[in-house]
Amino acid sequence: MILNGVEIRDSFAEAFPMVGTRLIITADTAKWAMIAAKTMTGFATSVIGCGCEAGVEREIPAEETPDGRPGVAVLIFAMDIKGLKSVVPNRIGQCVLTSPTSACYAGMEGGESISIGKALKYFGDGWQIAKKVGDKRIWRVPVMEGEFVCDHETGSVSGVGGGNVLILGASRREALEAAEAAVEAMSKVPGNILPFPGGVVRSGSKVGSKYKGMFASTNNFYCPTLRAQTETKLPPEVASVQEIVIDGVSFDAVSACTRAGIEAVVKLGRDKGIIAIDAGNYGGNLGPFHFKLREIMA
Amino acid sequence: MSGIVLTPRGAFEARVDLTGALPGADLASLKIGYGGRRVALAELFEISGAADGRLTVAGGGVELDNVAAGLTDGEVVVEGDVGARLAQGATGGAVLVKGSAGDYAASELAGGKVTVEGDVGERLGAASAGARRGMSGGVVTVGGSAGVRAAERQRGGVIVVKGDTAEGAATDMIAGTLAVGGALGAKAGRGMKRGTLLLHSPEGLAAGFADAGEHDLVMLRVLVRRSAELAAFLGADATRARRFAGDLNAAGQGEALVFSR
Repeated sequence: MILNGVEIRDSFAEAFPMVGTRLIITADTAKWAMIAAKTMTGFATSVIGCGCEAGVEREIPAEETPDGRPGVAVLIFAMDIKGLKSVVPNRIGQCVLTSPTSACYAGMEGGESISIGKALKYFGDGWQIAKKVGDKRIWRVPVMEGEFVCDHETGSVSGVGGGNVLILGASRREALEAAEAAVEAMSKVPGNILPFPGGVVRSGSKVGSKYKGMFASTNNFYCPTLRAQTETKLPPEVASVQEIVIDGVSFDAVSACTRAGIEAVVKLGRDKGIIAIDAGNYGGNLGPFHFKLREIMA
Repeated sequence: MSGIVLTPRGAFEARVDLTGALPGADLASLKIGYGGRRVALAELFEISGAADGRLTVAGGGVELDNVAAGLTDGEVVVEGDVGARLAQGATGGAVLVKGSAGDYAASELAGGKVTVEGDVGERLGAASAGARRGMSGGVVTVGGSAGVRAAERQRGGVIVVKGDTAEGAATDMIAGTLAVGGALGAKAGRGMKRGTLLLHSPEGLAAGFADAGEHDLVMLRVLVRRSAELAAFLGADATRARRFAGDLNAAGQGEALVFSR
């Protein structure tokens, strides 16, 4: 399949089940809501080394948030519910509770519950106050600034982690510019996060390594400088590859995000140095979710 | 007027215990208390209409006790006054009284919505005799005023009294919210352990309440967005209140939030 001179390879992204949750973080200003959100989703690019994958899903206008202040929705994914129950209160406690004027609310209902205030209330040292209105309980934890307000808990969802797109460019600059265009388009698709820096991974990995104890190592098949030394999947005109990893709340969400990203890259076309779109997989035997590029773009 | 309609056949000569007269119940065979006797509901009321989850008492009376007591779902409307224990122990549904209600209205309420357009008697939302805790959930709105010891030992839920409360409101309150639009009777909040009073003046608070200053509370923003009743009471933009902590004489951690009008 060739679109605007860009080859869409007959490949697929192989993704895995993850369990995730959404939180709504608010603050007096959009600036501080985003600071809290980015801090709490920091160092969360890959479960391999971070224990979770997290990112900003979208900004939320004040009129749509639980307290009428500017907000940010974040998604956090872990490999299992136990992991998620561990990382979420820790990250809120260290990064949101501490952030000026912030509050933290449930961003989804249903599924197994994940503690917010249920765990963080103890910071109040006995001065915390619960307030239940309707079927929802909020906690007010006194802090030096005033009060930290949060919901008791949030829901969770069985999601998909590890959707991906590989952008094969004629130069480093062109591959990155295409990746930036893709990230901008993909960030508008709800239900997904792109957990790597700026949404982009320049160091895609393969499973395993020649070294003991390494679970992942550089994906030499896509490293342009290794062409002469290893089997390569790169056409001769490709000088640089950027990857975009997608975690989403459902197969459909990741699929829509994948399509949005590819469309943005294809729009740039061959004239902008984009040679091909590929995807990372492990032969289809490890992950149950397969995002077939040509079917998605059909 | 849809649903089942109960129309009194005449003036009541004794107290009427309407326990069990709920939407969805078999009203044709229901026996109710009438003074010291058990009588068929149909003996005192003409029963008309078709069941659709709504029960209307067309013409109330202060003799009508236990109206909507134990309600779990559906709607009960009374086009007049009711007696004691309105919606006592109800866990869901909606109750509307277009007149006034007697003592122990919404006592031990656990869920649902109760609205009384007029006044209520003593111990609104309180614990009944022998019970340890009062109302634990749901929302109660009173258009008029409430008698003594409203919200006594309240454990949860929201009570909004648009008028005044008599002496001893929120005595021994355990948790929950009581909003008073009018004047607060004396000794309010005495023995209060936790919970929140929403007021327009601290006048009437028990001696064990201490001024903690005026604050911009994010919590208020959440309350008015999650409770239509509190939004109506406080206004959608309520954020600032003066906080009084109490009852400190009983080592309580409750609060009274006072809003300037």
